[in-house]
Amino acid sequence: MAGSAEAAAATSSRRTLARGPYRGLLAFLGRREVLPSVLIAPVLIFFIVWNTIPTLWLLGLSFYRFSLTSGRPPIYSGFYNYTSILNDSSTWFDLSRTFIFVVLAVGIETIAGLLLGLLFWGSDRLPGRRVALTLLFAPMVVTPVAAGTFWRLIYDPTFGVLNWFIRSLGLPAVRFLSDANVAFGAVLAVDIWMWTPFMVLMTLAALASVPKAELEAAEIDRLTWFQRLRLVILYHGKFILMLGILLRTIDAFKTMDLIFDMTFGGPGTATQLIAISLFRSAFESFNMGSSSALAVVLLLISIAFTATFLYVLYLRERRTADA
Amino acid sequence: MNERVRERLYHALLWLVALIFFAPVFWIALSSFKTAPQILAVPPILFFRPTLANYAKLFSESDFRHHFFDSVVLSVLAVLIAVAVSFLAAFAFSRFRPAATNFLMFLLLSIRMLPGSAAILPVYLMYVAFGWKDSFLGMTLFYAMFSIPFSVWILKGFIDGVSPRFDETGIVNGASWFSIITRLTLPQVFPGVVAALIFNFIFVWNEFLFNYIIGGINTSNIPVMLATGLSNGGGIDWTFLSSLTTIYILPPILMVYIFQRYLLVGMTFGTVRGEV
Amino acid sequence: MSKEINPATERDAAPVGRRESRMGRRNLIQGTAALGAAAVACPRYAFSQSEKASPLAGKSIHMQILGIAGWLPSKLGVDMSPEFAKYAKDKYGYTVSFSFADAPFGTLFQKAATSLATRSQEYNIIISDSQWLGALATPKWIVQVNDIIAKNPELNIEWWSPSIRTSYQVFPDGTNKLWGFPQVGDVYGIFIRRDILEGPGEADAFKAKYGRPLPTTWEAFEAMDYEDWTDFIAFFNRPEKGYYGLAAQYSREYDAASCPTMSVMRSLGGDVWDPKTGQVQGILDTPSNAHAMELYKAWLKYQPPGATNYFIAEVIDAFTQGKVFAAWQWVATGATMIPASLKDKVIVVPPPSFKRADGSRVRNYIIGGQPWVINAFNDPEHMQVAIDFMKWWYLPETSHEYLMRGGMPCDKATCSRPDFDGINPWNRTYKYMLLRSSDFWHDPKYSEMLSDQQDAFTGYYTGQIKDPLHALQWTACEQQKILYDEGTAAKAPTGACAGIRL
Repeated sequence: MAGSAEAAAATSSRRTLARGPYRGLLAFLGRREVLPSVLIAPVLIFFIVWNTIPTLWLLGLSFYRFSLTSGRPPIYSGFYNYTSILNDSSTWFDLSRTFIFVVLAVGIETIAGLLLGLLFWGSDRLPGRRVALTLLFAPMVVTPVAAGTFWRLIYDPTFGVLNWFIRSLGLPAVRFLSDANVAFGAVLAVDIWMWTPFMVLMTLAALASVPKAELEAAEIDRLTWFQRLRLVILYHGKFILMLGILLRTIDAFKTMDLIFDMTFGGPGTATQLIAISLFRSAFESFNMGSSSALAVVLLLISIAFTATFLYVLYLRERRTADA
Repeated sequence: MNERVRERLYHALLWLVALIFFAPVFWIALSSFKTAPQILAVPPILFFRPTLANYAKLFSESDFRHHFFDSVVLSVLAVLIAVAVSFLAAFAFSRFRPAATNFLMFLLLSIRMLPGSAAILPVYLMYVAFGWKDSFLGMTLFYAMFSIPFSVWILKGFIDGVSPRFDETGIVNGASWFSIITRLTLPQVFPGVVAALIFNFIFVWNEFLFNYIIGGINTSNIPVMLATGLSNGGGIDWTFLSSLTTIYILPPILMVYIFQRYLLVGMTFGTVRGEV
Repeated sequence: MSKEINPATERDAAPVGRRESRMGRRNLIQGTAALGAAAVACPRYAFSQSEKASPLAGKSIHMQILGIAGWLPSKLGVDMSPEFAKYAKDKYGYTVSFSFADAPFGTLFQKAATSLATRSQEYNIIISDSQWLGALATPKWIVQVNDIIAKNPELNIEWWSPSIRTSYQVFPDGTNKLWGFPQVGDVYGIFIRRDILEGPGEADAFKAKYGRPLPTTWEAFEAMDYEDWTDFIAFFNRPEKGYYGLAAQYSREYDAASCPTMSVMRSLGGDVWDPKTGQVQGILDTPSNAHAMELYKAWLKYQPPGATNYFIAEVIDAFTQGKVFAAWQWVATGATMIPASLKDKVIVVPPPSFKRADGSRVRNYIIGGQPWVINAFNDPEHMQVAIDFMKWWYLPETSHEYLMRGGMPCDKATCSRPDFDGINPWNRTYKYMLLRSSDFWHDPKYSEMLSDQQDAFTGYYTGQIKDPLHALQWTACEQQKILYDEGTAAKAPTGACAGIRL
């Protein structure tokens, strides 16, 4: 069957070449050898222009000392920017803070998303299910500037809803955003509010990918809920869930807008994540060399993480596929 | 316990969860009908006489119509271009598996990893060199690039699930690759296309930093208008914030509602193609 | 009959035009500036008479001002521009239109800097914060205006206070180089709820408690120092009645915590750096400055919880919603601080003086306000219009109109007007404090220095850091390093800085 298709393709291409330049060009582009390149070309062009060139520029600039507002031209300085960033203890503090933030945020969002997803799974008879799910997904859709500003109000000890509630219980007001001990948790909570629905979405998708036949078989075999979860649901839905975790982790690492609007990295440095430091370095100090170096470092961390993650994921997939 | 009562309780729980997540959004929407002192009032006011004054003020500002229009056009065009281009590439990756496929897919994902503040200056300088500052084309193409990685990943997953038999049948019948792609494969991966469109639409819809720095008066979208109008005489303009935010989240929420099925199927990255 | 030069006559514009094409650009600027100066040398009020034609006569020019979003004084420049358009048409014979690009204050500098970095004349005039003068001047993005003032003597204005010049025009500190003109002046004042202050029984209760009469007049407040004020706001701190004594700024955002703190430091006799040598260590980290921080922190007792996150907007909300009795705030926000609901219920008085070791009571506060600067990349036409605009802006009539519309002028002539105080409740305090306020670093690295300082100050005010002197030492180390790397500071940070951590 395949052979006849090939033969047919070959004949047809010979025929089309005879048809004239325009048709001929189209037919040429349609040939098996050329077509993939043609199809991928637009994406590659986008990628090269909007991503590769800026990244290379960034990489190059990271080897210079250059402050946009100094009026002086860039000075070549080798790895100076990198060493000064990596030697600066505040960089490590910011990175560890970010690391903790990402682990907690993605972790809690995944677990909560999984639980809520399981909860919503099989709720086909829920009246107004579509509306309920839409409401659930609403936090993902709100503009971060607005969300940040309003949460700032909600958290405010004098004007905020939360503290009104706390005070009516007779407790002293909690300074959510101005108490260093609480601020980190407070902004973490907002991120969790915003992105758990995303993990719910991924969970529902993951659950949908579980073959119904196996679920039914599991039920017939009277497996416990936990066994069903482990052997059937997570087994099949793992790929999508992992992809969701990957996407969320990459984004969480870059968190800036939301936190900046609420605490500006404060109080002190309690909520200063690395993306905020980068913003400051690039846009407050206009220290282009240093901020580029930091960006390259962050990019490398992201790439390393993603590569490892995907490798393990595909390794597992291949192993289970072969099994 | 009675089966029906259990189910009722279960449904109530689900609705409670949904409402808890929705509550802050509801608060913003509610505030848009209040006056500023009412918004700031403690204890929080739940019952009040609503006013449409905030919306009237918003609509009467010609800036609003202009920025809203910009937001819509930018977002729609960018994701359409992105998904179209991504679809072609995903098809190639799936069917022809060129040698660099995995590497390229990974590379595309790396686009998302660069924090905005880092990418913006090189892009800005590049744009100025092209003369694209404050140009619609420039902004749209930039946002399209933003949206490509996600789209390629989703669409490739879906196209992988479409049997190559369809292609073969098409070729045998003398169809060009172009019509195979558009008429045979595309309809079958429709949920993926819709999911990619909506997801990226939401990201572009809410994007602020690049539009602020690279864009200008002609291309400002609503998040920029929001940030600019937020401050009024030193204070925060709560009525402006709440009314503009409420209007602005309506289109994405409507999309999430209308296309929910597709969204859920789409996020399976192709492992499910039927209904969810 | 001598040839009357009428700007409307094309015949007269032509010779100048021919000259234009033969001259080089620099000559053109000098030429037009000279012409402009000559034109304006005529009596100010007689501009409708015939004058030398401006080389721009007959042209139509569009100007764009970049300013602060939602800030009335900033926008007044453009709101009043139709009057300039009329003036320019009558006097110079060209048509000009203005548009206002606004940006949120926190990101205004980013927008200006990215545009100027590409040598763009997208924004012809930029309203910038006073601290950015160094950052904008050093890369020569803005025009040094000494020459312009020399050629246009009417721009050599006598200001109400010497600190206007040093705050809004001078960079580097201590030199004579001028880079901008004050667009809006701003100082700290304390807004007080007069209706609560003058409530029944308050005066007697206060007298009974403290043995002094309750201050109710501006003069009485002017005489008060920190201790007096502490008693005062403690007396009116009534959370059980729903309002606290004071709202002030302590947030991490921008310069919220820094400005009041530095005000107390300066009033007590300390300072934050030596502008001539760039030296910070030994000047910032002194026991006097640490004491200043303690004093400012002590007032948190009388403020709503959450005051540590307050910046301008939060203080406005707290005051206008009746959550506080008094508010320490920039007077330029006066219109928003006193909405219709509080009309006639607010008085604005100077913030406290501080008693120094020698017994004197001093006020030396940080000045706010914004200058506007001219884009150095403007082509000659836009440059000329910008200069003409400035000249028009500082005309007495314009300043007066600006004042009446809610602006904050800085020139002596307008501020000395007998009706000045009565126009807004904060005007008297404004004039008074302008004479007692000064700016801090104009250095290009100011935002890095500020960021570190904000970390330290907010860390102390929120209790993360226990010892204010330690916070100051860390800040001094960081700032010394920044200035030393930049080349402004002669001395490197001391060895003690190696191990210090916030």
